[in-house]
Amino acid sequence: MEEKRLNPKKNTLFCIISVVILVILLFPLFWTLITSFKTEKEIFQIPPTWYPHVLNTKSYAAQIETGDFNMFKSFFNSFVISMGAMLISVVLAVPASYAIARYRFVGRKAMLLGFLVTQMLPVSVLLTPMFIMFRNLKMYNTWGASILADATIGIPFSVLILKNYFASIPKALEEAAYIDGCTRMSAFMRILVPVAKPGVIVCAIFSFLYAWGDLAYGMTFILDQEKRPITAGIFNFMGQYGTKWSYLTAFAIVAIIPVTLIFIFMQKYIISGMTNGAVKG
Amino acid sequence: MKRVKNFFRYDNAGLFFILPAFLYMMFFVGYPIISNIILSFQNVSVRNLVNGQKKFIGFANYSEIFQDAVFRKAMGNTLLFTVACLLFQFLIGFVLALLFNKNFTFAKTIRGLTMIPWMMPMTVTALMFKFMFSTDVGIINYILRSSHLISENIEWLTTPGTAMIAVVAANVWIGIPFNTILISTGLTTIPQELYESAAVDGANAWQRLVKITLPLLRPTIESVLVLGFIYTFKVYDLVYVMTEGGPVNSTHLLSTYSYKLSFDMFQYSKGASVANVLFLILLLVGMLYLKITMRGEED
Repeated sequence: MEEKRLNPKKNTLFCIISVVILVILLFPLFWTLITSFKTEKEIFQIPPTWYPHVLNTKSYAAQIETGDFNMFKSFFNSFVISMGAMLISVVLAVPASYAIARYRFVGRKAMLLGFLVTQMLPVSVLLTPMFIMFRNLKMYNTWGASILADATIGIPFSVLILKNYFASIPKALEEAAYIDGCTRMSAFMRILVPVAKPGVIVCAIFSFLYAWGDLAYGMTFILDQEKRPITAGIFNFMGQYGTKWSYLTAFAIVAIIPVTLIFIFMQKYIISGMTNGAVKG
Repeated sequence: MKRVKNFFRYDNAGLFFILPAFLYMMFFVGYPIISNIILSFQNVSVRNLVNGQKKFIGFANYSEIFQDAVFRKAMGNTLLFTVACLLFQFLIGFVLALLFNKNFTFAKTIRGLTMIPWMMPMTVTALMFKFMFSTDVGIINYILRSSHLISENIEWLTTPGTAMIAVVAANVWIGIPFNTILISTGLTTIPQELYESAAVDGANAWQRLVKITLPLLRPTIESVLVLGFIYTFKVYDLVYVMTEGGPVNSTHLLSTYSYKLSFDMFQYSKGASVANVLFLILLLVGMLYLKITMRGEED
């Protein structure tokens, strides 16, 4: 259902309008990037400069040196936590979504509803009980606490997205595998998961992103700054040095590097995740 | 033994695949939900959190929070914040979706790029907007001053009233992509021939929007608004990083107030009751959403 092409004049007009809109929408990011390369003095200059007149890379360099401005460690913590949460989410959600798509087992509807409801859950409901639980499990103040907590966001999202992928795979494919002597498990691992791979990638990306963006869990379950994720590091720094904008903006830019990379290389998966996850969610 | 085997033979074999995820969620989400409900009926503070006698005090926490002026303020703020965000992000998202559904050269690429704000960690978004809304270095004050809309810098984040505008602006920025993409997807399901025949019948653009687009888009619009409500009503990090609920509680939401009660004032039971009120509202709206999406779908 290809829509008819616009005439050249209208085409140019729409292109210009949409570029202007894009520039306005992404201005906060541009402004943060520019500011991170300015000196403190230039940031406070009026009128503001639209590009750094004196290039200042100190705010970035300080992040890998020792001291209060070291974000490298936090970045690494965030990475470990997000990868952990992503792995748990994918490993648990892939078979679960296959079950929902293919089997009419006892309690299926109730479980599906359970996954839907957890998506509506505000973090504040879970914070105190999880806090007590992780203390009892001797996991308080470890990466593990954050990983386990972050996976609870990724799992329901992934299950709901992936069930649509599995449901769209023809049953005949699975039946052919059984005839060829596959067990349920081997048919699932060798035939179905590879076919649903785009969906699995969507889930991995979103589980990673949810964990990467988390602040509440990282801040509440991890006490030591050395073990905290980058979001908590930034928040902490804002409390201590609220107006050191050159450092703050540089931290912000470093914190969005993975997000930007994911966006550049996996854009189509993101759009798919946003639409499938929400509409069918 | 044979009966057990038969039970798992066909559809119930699915249980093997789903149980790991389900048990995980029961342990790390189901159990906390229950214990948060129990917590809200007890008197837990920092003294008896980990060990120590916990006393059941019935609905005392709930009746206390409903008398609490800050809680009432937070409730009002949450509603105001949610309605304001939904209104702006929906309207802007709708216009953008209409624009990007025109078949011009950059449409797909630019629509893709406008998704970026949605992916940002909330902490980073909060930082960026805090910077832009700051009094002396803020670019927003500079733009307003140089276009002569204001003569003196506004203290956006330290004045009650304007602080709410700042947090709403930041959240709208995050919400626009979500609205754009969902409405955009909805628009593609409307058959093009309807517009063509309406145009033949002499309907102008406005009439086509009101008579064709809006009625056919109704299910999408309903989903977008209800989902937007759920996501916005529970926003926490953004506001906590930008204002921590201040100044003078003017931006406290139920989520931030609950956090403050539990982890700043160590009144865990009271914080739990506020969180439960928040959850109950979300659950009711969520049920409404399920009713909408499940309409005409048997599973």
